[in-house]
Amino acid sequence: MTRAVIDRPLLVVVGSGGVGKTTLAAALGLSAARAGKHTLVMTFDPSLRLKDALGVGEGARDREVAVRVDTPGRLEVSLLDARAAFDRLVVEYSPDADAARRILDNRFYQHLAGGLAGILEYMAVERLFEVTAARRYDRIVLDTPPTHQALDFLEAPDRVVGFLESGALGIALRPWFDERGRLRAGVGPVRRGIEELLDRVVGLDLLREIAEFFQAFAPLYEGFRRRAAEVRKLLRAPETLFLLVAGPGEERIPDTLFFARRLREQGHHLGPIVVNQTHSLLPVDSADPRLTGHMGEGLRLLAWLGERDARGLVELRGLLGRDQRLVDLPFLAEPPTDLRSLEALGRQFHERLAASAAG
Amino acid sequence: MGTAPERMTRVTLIDRLRERQLVVVTGKGGVGKTVLSAALAHGLAAAGARALLLELDPRESLHHLLDAPPSGGEVVEVRPRLFLHHLDPRIVLEGLVRERLPVPMLARKVVASPLFRQFADAAPGLKEMAVLGHALRLVGGKAKPAVDVIVLDAPATGHGVSLLAAPLLVAEVIVRGPVGDLAREVADFVADPRRCGTVIGTLAEELPVQEAVELIGMLRSRLDRAPEAVIVNAVYPVPPRQGTKAPPGTAAAVTLWRRRRRVNEREIARLAKAWPGPRIEIPLLPIDRGPDLVAEIAARLEAAPIPGQGRR
Repeated sequence: MTRAVIDRPLLVVVGSGGVGKTTLAAALGLSAARAGKHTLVMTFDPSLRLKDALGVGEGARDREVAVRVDTPGRLEVSLLDARAAFDRLVVEYSPDADAARRILDNRFYQHLAGGLAGILEYMAVERLFEVTAARRYDRIVLDTPPTHQALDFLEAPDRVVGFLESGALGIALRPWFDERGRLRAGVGPVRRGIEELLDRVVGLDLLREIAEFFQAFAPLYEGFRRRAAEVRKLLRAPETLFLLVAGPGEERIPDTLFFARRLREQGHHLGPIVVNQTHSLLPVDSADPRLTGHMGEGLRLLAWLGERDARGLVELRGLLGRDQRLVDLPFLAEPPTDLRSLEALGRQFHERLAASAAG
Repeated sequence: MGTAPERMTRVTLIDRLRERQLVVVTGKGGVGKTVLSAALAHGLAAAGARALLLELDPRESLHHLLDAPPSGGEVVEVRPRLFLHHLDPRIVLEGLVRERLPVPMLARKVVASPLFRQFADAAPGLKEMAVLGHALRLVGGKAKPAVDVIVLDAPATGHGVSLLAAPLLVAEVIVRGPVGDLAREVADFVADPRRCGTVIGTLAEELPVQEAVELIGMLRSRLDRAPEAVIVNAVYPVPPRQGTKAPPGTAAAVTLWRRRRRVNEREIARLAKAWPGPRIEIPLLPIDRGPDLVAEIAARLEAAPIPGQGRR
């Protein structure tokens, strides 16, 4: 029954850094494969231990590789690499090898484009488009980049479409320079005057390279725009469910509420909110003065953590209302280091999800 | 050997940072970087320095940690010698363009144009460089209030090194003009180990330690620098000896405690192997996030000696 809650073709796992998104994404992928779904987990930056657990290495960078696991459905994993994906895309969509080279060799591309804000996010979106278009999977679990403003990722297609449709691009694409690299503005002394001023302000060489970059990129724009618009739709489709992962404790609540509100405002479908890494309550009180000595002091700390996280859950539940499913997962002594413990985490998630319906 | 008089003065991280003008606090998201930044600034102010805490996160939160009203873009003195300043990098960059462009009308046009906005948002390094340029001006004695040292709570996104490498990157791309000049000026500031230092925050867990080690490597390779210290936050206490009797119902918690401590020790050992320099461990404390936690961590930072030769 409860499996139906998250039984969607595309699951997007979002949340702040350090809350266990990637591990949970892998666990959900594994449990989907166990349930017979042909599944892909797309992720960014898994820990070495998680990579070991899945048995994938650098071979999975920027492409899908199968996890060696005996499940009714196949499980595949890919590690997203923005720069490599961008370079590949340039080569793939350029009209010829020369055109591709012109972009890849451009100083502006090398220095700036590779680190352009949102590029990592955008490349994930590109990949998502390719993978969903190929329809090779029943289920895709998409892990999102560990940024504080994790929602940058979701806005990447909007930003790209916005940029491509804004006048800015038209300005950048105008033939500013002639074949001899001279500015096409004014004539004679006026042109030289403008050139001198621009040279003094940012350097004419840089402007030339920026103009070259945008022009070399021109054949790629239409494709970018079209795909970004498709993904924009996909991320808002009813078949796409967002799983928000949060840390425990009252201090994280503002973050969680912020993410949840933004997701809804942007027209995404928010599924359960997972409060991860929750310490359990102890049968002792953190303020009990009888807890002394080495053991006592440690238990007071652990009891305090349990009380803090329980308080956080109660408060969050009150703020979110009854309609929002809240799944709390216990703090693990150590994140899963093999497929068995990963599978156990997936089972635990489904158990807690079932319990969340009763409450 | 052994006959040299014990003249090594006891140096703490706070002493060391008092000699700097800018301290960049970085590390993986979720390691408590903001709390550590607040504690460092708190400690510096307590030690007599005029310390300014610089926050870039658009969702302003540092004032909660210091029991103060939000800065609202102004420099506010939240307690004696401790200042708080929340900055919007975009506004700093716009100010910079206005200040540096030779023609005021041109500057206004540039700042108002959508192309500039898009470019400023997207181009890596520009906003970061503007923020560091702003910090340089604040400690340069040209701005009010005068401050001795700035603690920058660096953004969690990506690696903090990109913030420090930003001026170099911009200077490489924009070689001429006022922006290029500023980029070089800021790059020199950041490259000067007497003026600018880095503190890395981490947890004794796999991913944060992995990122800290990568950060140290990038600091070394890209800027030829080493951090002032690595602060390991929220370390579990040493567990009681095996066989010590636990109260009923707490056995699972004690097992968790032992296993967490084992993970912590393993990761601290991994960190120590990659980074033999100053390392300070802050225990996991049963204190809610807020002014009390900041004060307690500051007290521990003030009490922890770091290896070194006293003054350089």
